[in-house]
Amino acid sequence: MEAAILFILVLVLLFLGVPVAVSLGLSSIIIIALFSQDSMSSVALQLFTASQNYTLLAIPFFVLASAFMSTGGVAARIIRFAIASVGHIKGGLAIASVLACMLFAALSGSSPATVVAIGTIAIAGMRQVGYSRDFAAGIIANAGTLGILIPPSIVMVVYSAATDVSVGRMFLAGVVPGLVAGLMLMVAIYVMARVKNLPAEDWKGFGEIIAGGKEAGWGLFLIIIILGGIYGGVFTPTEAAAVAAVYAFFVALFIYRDMGPLKGVRWIQETDSKRSRIGFSSLVYAAAFFFVFMILSFFVTAEWEGVSARGRAIVGLVLSLAIMVAYAVWRDRESNPFNIPGYLVAGLPIWGRNFALMGRNFHRMFFNEDTRKVMTEASKTTIMLMFIIVNALLFAHVLTSERIPDAITDLMLNYGFNWFTFLIAVNLLLLLGGQFMEPSGLLLIVAPVVFPIAMELGVDPVHLGIIMVVNMEIGMITPPIGLNLFVTSGITGMSLIQVVRAALPFVAVLFAFLILVTYVPVLSTWLPYSLMGPEIVTR
Amino acid sequence: MAIVVPALLLALLVALFFVAERRWPARVDRFEENVLASLLAIITFVSFTQVIARYGFNTGWSGALEFTRILFAWMILFGMGFGIKRSIHLGVDAFVRLLPAGIFRWVAVFGAFATFLYAFLLLYAAWLVLLGIDVSTNWRQTGAIGYWTFMYNLGTGLDDLRYPELLQNLFGLQERVHRWIAYLMLPIGLALLAFRAFEAMIAILRGERELVIAGHEAEELVSEHKDALKD
Repeated sequence: MEAAILFILVLVLLFLGVPVAVSLGLSSIIIIALFSQDSMSSVALQLFTASQNYTLLAIPFFVLASAFMSTGGVAARIIRFAIASVGHIKGGLAIASVLACMLFAALSGSSPATVVAIGTIAIAGMRQVGYSRDFAAGIIANAGTLGILIPPSIVMVVYSAATDVSVGRMFLAGVVPGLVAGLMLMVAIYVMARVKNLPAEDWKGFGEIIAGGKEAGWGLFLIIIILGGIYGGVFTPTEAAAVAAVYAFFVALFIYRDMGPLKGVRWIQETDSKRSRIGFSSLVYAAAFFFVFMILSFFVTAEWEGVSARGRAIVGLVLSLAIMVAYAVWRDRESNPFNIPGYLVAGLPIWGRNFALMGRNFHRMFFNEDTRKVMTEASKTTIMLMFIIVNALLFAHVLTSERIPDAITDLMLNYGFNWFTFLIAVNLLLLLGGQFMEPSGLLLIVAPVVFPIAMELGVDPVHLGIIMVVNMEIGMITPPIGLNLFVTSGITGMSLIQVVRAALPFVAVLFAFLILVTYVPVLSTWLPYSLMGPEIVTR
Repeated sequence: MAIVVPALLLALLVALFFVAERRWPARVDRFEENVLASLLAIITFVSFTQVIARYGFNTGWSGALEFTRILFAWMILFGMGFGIKRSIHLGVDAFVRLLPAGIFRWVAVFGAFATFLYAFLLLYAAWLVLLGIDVSTNWRQTGAIGYWTFMYNLGTGLDDLRYPELLQNLFGLQERVHRWIAYLMLPIGLALLAFRAFEAMIAILRGERELVIAGHEAEELVSEHKDALKD
């Protein structure tokens, strides 16, 4: 009875244009006031406690990291790297766009941001070399959904908060399916490119791949910090997210200089001599290698005995010296190692100029309008998500205290559901719900109901999470409420119907992928379980 | 302290916001943005330095975790009302947009009213008794204001967060930071939410605003890049 009123209230409020968060919260409050002995004070307190959730604290950090990484410069660097790697295949630009979306998804937990950042550059590029607008838009709309499957992913953090499955395992579980989904899209594009005889780019050689990778590497190292830190058992996911946010800030302002007071100022200027460039670059590579080595060795050796920070530093120093010498000798026309000190001295003015620049602007590097804007945007996104999440938690609490999940579990078991048919039901429920609700809110409502049944039927908790995320992905590219459709239609000026039709062939690919993920659990579970051991559900 | 005092203070705060916004709308906007941005910056900074301190130097501040979590809650609670003002809260607009204009406006007003009701019930719910609904009228159990007052009178401290020694000695404070300080943002955030929802209701009635909700999460992002690729 109460359950029926609760669900009807939520649906009515939702369709009357009440904010999703308030629909959930207000219905819960009304049910509590009418049928429960709980006081309103305890409900208000719950609102505060839910806002304090430690797992969910990772969300603002991931949002922040992705906001710093969503500046145009990072996307352009990633696209350059992607084109250099796979552009020479038939239909190469389209395949490269998928790869770029996958890489960008590894920096950002948000699908619409991926569509805008990669789409604005890649769609224009594809059209220039003769792809149709529909084809280009369809690819980007679909590949953009990988943002929530490839870690870091906000939806996965939310799933973990709702079900107590470890965030680290969920992130690792997203890696293989993310790669498979990307590959499936690429293969589909390749087949279509053969049929339609689409153009291929010129092969620019390994030099271009290395040059592109070097540029994009600073950004892509973010995902190493997150996954490495969590996997190595060094960080909690929330800590890893905080480090990622600060790293993204540092890269965007100090290294890429895409925003802030040094926007557009390059590290090396045209007027610098070749000698000073060699000296500067060799030192940069040495320093960058040392930095990367120290972080990676920290992750890997965190559990080992007898490894000290000093020991690691000495090894790192020796290796980076070797890299410096190797680079300088390689670039030196005479290949004479004794020239190196001369180069290094010649490179000093470049260092001096850049550090003087940063020193003079030191205060403004942290407090400037660009940073303020990114922080504000990130906090707005966080608030939008968290307001829904805390109310969905309140709603889930009412569900559980009314013992609704138990009733549904009994009902489903009585109907003789097994894990195979149950997963079909879950997929249908989520696909339907995904048409009307924001992914994290829907997940929080569905998870408390579905999770206990799944455990009863022996479905793996991590696998279930990945199924849910893939369903959310498909919800983003199917009408009436498909976020990526809106975004793609917005940036291309195509009508919603046109985008839907353009996306359709690739949606079919994602559907095939959903079936694959649903019935091949090992795709999701292999990586996390072989690295971190199985997830144990305590109930 | 009786429950009337914080209720009056909240009313005063809302009035202050109202007046300030009449006179300096741009400044109030910027103030709200800066509060949110600063909260996020502080949370990030503290969490990051804690990671460095713990793994780099084997030390740390025992109150850091509680501190960041409280500020996180503050950010969300303070931001709820701000979100109504800027229409960032998601909702389903597909169905209401099918309605004829006259009905559409009243439904939009209802959307704002439901938000107001939500905030108001959480602040103070004892008035439901007047409608014949059986809720507790014990002032401690009437919602956020009552609970906050109860905590204030009780004066208990938080788990880990301590006052700096200097303040302890200077003002003769207890060791642990009072719980009511952490909970301060609960009634304030709800009061601001109620205020913003009420404001939105008036604005919709006057025809200055269409809806309280955003149709999808990327509305702003799309409008920034609108037709970036149109032929």
